[in-house]
Amino acid sequence: MEMPTIPNPRMEKIPVSVAVRIPAEFEHFVHVEEVLGKEKWTIDLGRSNASFFSQLFDHMFDSTVILKADDDPRDYQFDALIEPSIEGFEFSVPSQSQSDAFAVWIRYRMAIFDSVGNRASSWTVSAYGKSEKEGLGGSDSLRRAAVLAMRDAAALIIMQMEKTTKIRQLADGPLAPSEVAPDEMQADAEAPPESSEPESVIGIFAIGGIDDAAE
Amino acid sequence: MQLNRFLIAGAALCMAGCVTSHVEDDRETTTGLGEGESIVIMAKSYHQGNETEADYITCIEKALRGGSKGLNVVPHQTFVDELFPWFEPRTAPADTKGLPMLMKRPGVSEAIKDLGVRYIVWLDGDTERVAEGGSLSCAAGPGGGGCFGFAWWQNDADYEASVWDLVDRESAGTVSADVSGTSFLPALVVPIPLIARTQTRACKGLAQQLRAFIVQ
Repeated sequence: MEMPTIPNPRMEKIPVSVAVRIPAEFEHFVHVEEVLGKEKWTIDLGRSNASFFSQLFDHMFDSTVILKADDDPRDYQFDALIEPSIEGFEFSVPSQSQSDAFAVWIRYRMAIFDSVGNRASSWTVSAYGKSEKEGLGGSDSLRRAAVLAMRDAAALIIMQMEKTTKIRQLADGPLAPSEVAPDEMQADAEAPPESSEPESVIGIFAIGGIDDAAE
Repeated sequence: MQLNRFLIAGAALCMAGCVTSHVEDDRETTTGLGEGESIVIMAKSYHQGNETEADYITCIEKALRGGSKGLNVVPHQTFVDELFPWFEPRTAPADTKGLPMLMKRPGVSEAIKDLGVRYIVWLDGDTERVAEGGSLSCAAGPGGGGCFGFAWWQNDADYEASVWDLVDRESAGTVSADVSGTSFLPALVVPIPLIARTQTRACKGLAQQLRAFIVQ
């Protein structure tokens, strides 16, 4: 699959030096789900997610270093460490929604640490993407919906990250002990309709190649 | 006998073209497109429940670009990418009141100026099947096959285009198209589709009126 790219955002860079730690499960995720007991969907987003978020943070901050899962953060200098993860992935196909569209909901968590490893904030970002069905299979449409959801998350993060997580303050040094361990924050404008979705569409997220194989 | 055949053929031709359309505009300000100025066609956000089809937007773009008096139309994806993240489905301004604040964002007014975009046209609406009926059955055997019966369906296309003037930062007005078309499928051994091109008619009608609205 061609890696999705993110346009250079129209924003001023945040004057913070960040390290981005990509967990292995964020980088390699495959989701298999049987919809309505007949269509089996395999969603493998490969490195798309990691690539997309690496581009995003590179656009957003003054300097960015990408750490792999086995890198030791103590070997690097930074003001803040961001660790993205995926908490949930849901999708719906036209046969479920009685429409011509594929929809994808992704719930990300952004854990932010200061330069000595104290947790500064933990932020949930819920994103949504929708794409019309094109062609016979639907693989491309579902992939497009997933990429649109990633892009939606990127827009939310650009608009709200600084305000919600106060990451700019970490450029002044590590947190004081009284500031550590904040509450979890929800910064999603639209929660995914968990209660209204059928149980069969609940799944875990991923991006890379999407194959649908009707069985 | 021959008269009957002519009547049947005439009725069939009429049915194939049985589309009714109503296009109108509601102007709020004067408009006009100067040298080097362009427009962009956007779909209202699916976050707000809008379901305007991608091929309808493409059709409007092509129709406005075409002809000897074609307008400069910036591809909507180019516009959205150049202004990322301010015209994403979640972040796009819902009305013209948000334009002054948007223009103050870093690089936004410069990007719009570089693209030469004077008007944003926001499309809202879709084409839906509202009724259907009849029955058609087909069978095949060693000696051949065939169909017998009659089916029909009605599609309604309702679209509204809101025109925003980015120079004056106000709404210029709206253009709407309401098209209804009924398709028929009679079959006596061989099915004969008589399709009403409802969405295509809505595209042509709206594009024609939009061009007149913008250029005056």
